[in-house]
Amino acid sequence: MAQGATIQAPGLSTFLKSLKTTPVDPSVEHLISLLKRRQIRNSRPCAIATTALLLRVVGEFKGRDASKLVERIRQVGRRLTSAQPREVVVGNIVRRALGLVREVVDEHADGQTPNGSEPSQTPAHSQHDSLHRPTLASSMSTFSPLKHASAEPMHMSVISENMSDSGELVRRPPLLTSHTSYAPTSAAPLVNSLFGLFSQPADTPSNMSTPTGQMSPTSKTTLTAINLERLADLSKNQKELDLKGEVMEGIRELQDELETSDKQIAEVALEHIHANEIILTHTASTTVQKFLLYAARKRKFTVVHCETYPHDHTATHGILLTGKKRESNPDEDGDDDKWKPLTDAGIQVYVIPDSHVFAIMSRVNKVILATHTVLANGGLVAAAGAHMIAKAAKEHQTPVVVLSGVYKLSPVYPFDIDELIEHGDAGSVVPYDDGEFVDKVDVENPLYDYVPADLVDLYITNLGGHAPSYLYRIVADHYRSEDITL
Amino acid sequence: MSEPPATEAVQAPATETQAPAINAPALANGDAESTAKKVSPAELKKLAKAEKQARRAQAKASDLAPKPQSGPSKDGQKQQRDSKQTPKEDKSKPLPIRRRPSNPNVPVVKEMEKKPKKETKQTGLFFGHLYSQPKQQSMNGASKDVHPAILALGLQYSSYAICGSTARMVAMMLAFKAVISDYQTPPGTSLARHLTSHHLSPQIEFLKSCRPLSISMGNAIRYLKDIIIKIDPSTPENEAKRGLLEEIDIFIRERVTAADKLIRDLAATKIEPGDVVLTYAASSIVERAIIQAHNAGIPFSVIVVDSKPLFEGKQLARKLANAGISVRYYLITGSSHAVKDATKVLLGAHAMMSNGRLYSRVGTALVSMLASAHSLPVIVLCQSVKFTEKVALDSIVGNEVAPSEELLSELERRDLLPLKSLLPTSKNKEKAGGEDEKADTADVLKWIEDSKNLHHLQVLYDVTPAHYINMVITEYGSLPPSSVPVVHRLSTNA
Repeated sequence: MAQGATIQAPGLSTFLKSLKTTPVDPSVEHLISLLKRRQIRNSRPCAIATTALLLRVVGEFKGRDASKLVERIRQVGRRLTSAQPREVVVGNIVRRALGLVREVVDEHADGQTPNGSEPSQTPAHSQHDSLHRPTLASSMSTFSPLKHASAEPMHMSVISENMSDSGELVRRPPLLTSHTSYAPTSAAPLVNSLFGLFSQPADTPSNMSTPTGQMSPTSKTTLTAINLERLADLSKNQKELDLKGEVMEGIRELQDELETSDKQIAEVALEHIHANEIILTHTASTTVQKFLLYAARKRKFTVVHCETYPHDHTATHGILLTGKKRESNPDEDGDDDKWKPLTDAGIQVYVIPDSHVFAIMSRVNKVILATHTVLANGGLVAAAGAHMIAKAAKEHQTPVVVLSGVYKLSPVYPFDIDELIEHGDAGSVVPYDDGEFVDKVDVENPLYDYVPADLVDLYITNLGGHAPSYLYRIVADHYRSEDITL
Repeated sequence: MSEPPATEAVQAPATETQAPAINAPALANGDAESTAKKVSPAELKKLAKAEKQARRAQAKASDLAPKPQSGPSKDGQKQQRDSKQTPKEDKSKPLPIRRRPSNPNVPVVKEMEKKPKKETKQTGLFFGHLYSQPKQQSMNGASKDVHPAILALGLQYSSYAICGSTARMVAMMLAFKAVISDYQTPPGTSLARHLTSHHLSPQIEFLKSCRPLSISMGNAIRYLKDIIIKIDPSTPENEAKRGLLEEIDIFIRERVTAADKLIRDLAATKIEPGDVVLTYAASSIVERAIIQAHNAGIPFSVIVVDSKPLFEGKQLARKLANAGISVRYYLITGSSHAVKDATKVLLGAHAMMSNGRLYSRVGTALVSMLASAHSLPVIVLCQSVKFTEKVALDSIVGNEVAPSEELLSELERRDLLPLKSLLPTSKNKEKAGGEDEKADTADVLKWIEDSKNLHHLQVLYDVTPAHYINMVITEYGSLPPSSVPVVHRLSTNA
C-alpha cells in the first residue's frame, strides 16, 4: 500500500508524485499513513494533499449518481480525518468538496425546475423537498444563528469521537434540516416550522420519530439512505448533468484557491502596515512572510520574530535565512524561487527567544500571527506560544492580526480545547540522552495553543479582513450544514 | 589558544576558596560550578571560538569606523549608569538614532553614527543603548591590578557558571574577602582612603566588563564601601582588614543566609497539600522553599517553566525531582498550558523595583501575566538585599543584553546546516564553492552575521508589572509589592 513511502523519503511531494500512478484506494491508504506518521503535517501540505486525493477520487468515480459520489467522498474523508483529527484542514477540504457536489446538484436543480418537471411540484412531496431542500437549508444556516447554534454541539463529535459513528449527535442535523425544508411549503414558514418540530414525527414515523439514543446504528444508515435516495432521484432526473466534470472543476478551483490565497492575503498588506512599524510575528509561516514581503516593497518597517522554540525554531531560522520553509524545499524549489527572505527586501528582522515577548511588546505596533486552524467562534489554534503573545499584546493594547486562508477556517466549535492541542516529541524539549532527567521529570511539549477570539482583533483571509465575531458567517458560506458532521 | 589552560588554572583556586566558605553560596553555585567543570574542555573551546569571533567582529568594526566605535563605548558605561536620566530621550527618538548616546553635539555625531549602523549589526532594535561594550570573555586586556580571584570570578560570570543574583553577589563578596586579605596599604595613604578608590574599583570595573553588575551586587558594594569609609584611619591595617572580613561574613550571614532561611520557612507555609506550584526558570530560594515544604510532608507537585538559552529551570527540575517531588517541565511556549494546571506561582527575583515591579529573568512577566489571568496567586520570594530604589516602567530602558550568538545552541546550529545550499546565492557564492560538505556549526553564525538585516537579539531580564504580583515574601515578612520602597528604606537605614 505504501510503496511510495518505501521508495522515497515520504512526504507531500512523494505523495503527489505517486498519486499520478497509483490507483485511488492505495493512494487513500498512502495518505492516511502519511498523516498518521505526521509525514505530512501543517495545514497547507495537508490541504494540498487532500485536494489532490479528492480530485482523483472524484475522477475515478464510476457512475453518475450524486448520492453515491457524496457517500464516496464522505467515506474517504471520514477515514482521513480519523487518521489525523487534529489536522482540521483535511476535514475542511472534504467538506468543501462535499459542498461542491451539492452545489452542482442544486444549481442543476434550479435550472431544471422552472422549465422541466412541473408535475413533481404537487404530488411527490418528498421529491419536491429534495429539490429545494439544499438551497433552503443553506439559506437557513446562514441567516439563522439559532439553527447554527443548535448544529454546533455535534461538531464536537468530529473531534472527540474521531469521526466514528457517534450516536445521536450525528443524527440530529439532518433532522433539523428536513424540518426547515418543510417550512416554506406552507404560507407561514416560521410558524409552520415551529409546529413542525412537533408534528414532524407523526408524518414520517419510520425515520424521524426516534432520532436520539434508542436507535441502533442502523438508524444512521436509514437516514442517510433517505437522504441519498433523494439525491439519487435527482440525478436520475437530470441525466445530462456532467456531475463528475463539474465537481472536478470545482476541486481544481479549490486547488487554485489554495495556491493563490497567500497572494490574495498579501495584496492587502499595504492597508495594514504603515511606515516604520514594528511588527511582531512568530513561527515559520509562508503566509505571513509573503504578507510582510509584499508590504516591504513599498514600506520600511521592522520585524521582530519569535523563534517558537522548540517546535518550529529550525524552520523559523531557516525561513529568515533563506526565505523558505525547509520542509517544502525539495519539491517547491522551482515555482517559488522568486521570493527572497525579508532581510533581502531591506527589512530589519530581529529574532528573539519566546520569553522576550512581554519585554518587547510595549514597543510593538502590531502583532501578526500565523495560524494552524481558525475555528467557527473566532478563536484559533496556532503554534505554541501564540496564546501568550496574543495575551501580552492584549495587555499592551497592541492589535493582533491573524492571517489565514479560508481553507483553514473550520466549522469546528471548540468546546473542549484540549482536544485540539497536539503534544509533540518531548525529546525536542529535553534530549533523550539526558536519561536521568527524562526519567524523573515529566517533560511536556504542546505543539499548539488555543487563542480565544477576544484576544484577536482582526482576521485577514483571502476574502478580506473580518472581525472575529463575523467568522461564523464565512463558515456558513463555505460549508453546508449537512456536511458539518462527516 | 593559550587561554584555555589559563582559565582553568584560575578557575580552580576560586572554587576552592568559595566552596568551604559558607553554605549558602555553595548551595547556590555548587551545581553550576560542577557542571561547568564537567564540560569545561568543550565549553572552553566554544568560549574561545566565540571570543575569536567577537574579536574579529570588533577588529572589523574598529577598522572601518574607528571613531564612532570608540565614542559610544567610552561613554557607554557612563550612559548605562545615568540611563535613569536619559530614557525619555532615548525612547522618543526614531530607531536609527537610538543607538547614539545622548551627546550634546548632535550635528557632528550624526554623520558618524550612520556608519556604525551599517557596519556593526549590533544596533539591537531599541536596545541599542545597552550595547555599550563588548562582553569580556577572557582575561586579555584586564588591568594588572585585578586580583586572580576576581579574574576567575569574572570569567565565571561571563560564562554563566555563576548565575543568579544572590549567587553572584555572594561569590563577589567572597572574592572581595580574598582581595582584602591580600591587600596592603601603600605607604603614605590610609586603608580607608586607598582601598575603595584604588584597589576595589579596578576589580569592580573588571567584573562589570564581564557582566553588568546585578542590583544585589551594587547594594553589597555600596555597603562595603560604607564600612570601609567608616574605618578609623588610625586603626592598624591588620585589625582593619580583619574587621572588614568579619563584616563581610556578617553581611552574608544576615542578609543572605539568615534571610534565605526566614523566607524559605515562610514560603513553605504557603504551599498547601494538593497544590501545583508553578515556577519559572530557577531561583535558589524558590528551590529551598519547595524542598522545605516537601520535607515537611506536604503532598504537592511542581511545574517548572523554562526557556532558552540558559535553561536554568532544567537544573531546578532535576534537583527537585531528585528530592522526590513530582515535577513537570515545560518550555515557555507551553506556558499557557502549564498555567492551566497550576494553583500557585512562586517566582524568584533579580530585584524588586521601588515602584513595586519585579525585575527578573526574561519570561517571568509572561508567566505572571498568564497566571494572574487565571487568577492564580503570584508570590515573589526576594531577600531585601535585592530591593532597589531604582524604578522601571518597561524592560527596555534598563536591561542587560546577552551576546546574540548565545541564542543558537550548538545543536540548533547543526540543524540549520542543511540550509547551506539554499542561502541567497548572492551571499553564498564563495562559500558554496569552497568548503562544501565540511560545514562547521560556526558557519551558521557567520551566515547570520553576514546577513545584513538579520539580527539576533537577546536580553536577560524583564519587568513584571506590579499588578500581576500578589505578594512579596521577604525576611521582613509578606508584603504587597507596593510596600517594597518602605522595606527598602527600612533595610538600608537600619
